[in-house]
Amino acid sequence: MMRCLGMVDSGELVTVVGLNGGFGLCRKLADMGLTPGVSLKVVHSQGRGPIVVDVRGSRIALGFGVAQKVMVDGRG
Amino acid sequence: MSEVTIALAGNPNTGKTTMFNNLTGARQHVGNWPGVTVEKKWGGLKHQGYDINVVDLPGVYSLTAYSPDEVIARRFVVEERPDMVVDIVDAANLERNLYLAVQFLELGAKLIIALNMTDVAASRNHRIDAEKLSQRLGVPVVRTVANRNQGTKELLDCIVNLGQSVNDADFRIDYGKEIEREIKNLQEIIQKSLLSLNYSPRWLAIKLLEEDDEVTRIVQGKG
Repeated sequence: MMRCLGMVDSGELVTVVGLNGGFGLCRKLADMGLTPGVSLKVVHSQGRGPIVVDVRGSRIALGFGVAQKVMVDGRG
Repeated sequence: MSEVTIALAGNPNTGKTTMFNNLTGARQHVGNWPGVTVEKKWGGLKHQGYDINVVDLPGVYSLTAYSPDEVIARRFVVEERPDMVVDIVDAANLERNLYLAVQFLELGAKLIIALNMTDVAASRNHRIDAEKLSQRLGVPVVRTVANRNQGTKELLDCIVNLGQSVNDADFRIDYGKEIEREIKNLQEIIQKSLLSLNYSPRWLAIKLLEEDDEVTRIVQGKG
């Protein structure tokens, strides 16, 4: 099931399927390792405010607005 | 006596500062990079008759120009032109870390890869063929464990060796027919301008195609 990263609960493992941002945001996210196909774990999310994800061995904090632009699929 | 300036670069939390402390010991200075509140640290040491100046760059994931620390890291390498860049790579997260290494190579920097945290990588059963990595990228790769001060001497030897050689690195990524054609067109124009004195024409061309804000400004200003 596809949804945005902002909707994922803490502890869930998901796979990135797409980025719904502009050119600059997509590049920045790619620089940080958030590319389509990569799996990540949501470490901390409250359904609002910034979330923390574990991706490619680093923990990254994303603003909620940014997290809503990252499309993910259920299983990581 | 010869002098070499090296920049320590790498992703955040790969051990740059630990390595910096190993290299310089107490002989270091802390200040600010001009205009921004990002700490600047530099220090020096002597090795095999060489005066080695070490500058600790902010930890970054890439050399785009979004945040002040990225801009600083890039400007330092592009404009101040250190004799070489030592990229501290977290061996336990090689894929993520090599992205930055490739960007330094694209810039045309003389690069040494310090494969750090090799103990952590080993404990996760990652086996890394440092020699093959070195062949593929065309740069020296030194294994280190900075928090136990292992590999520091080897790294220094490598710095001195590389300091004596000319930069013959010919690293390039093939971006495919269409993009390469545009890169070539831009590169030819850049080569005829004064910009080619200070910047690698291929790098400028790539960054222009990426619509990189800072490079666009540089080209508009001087082009």
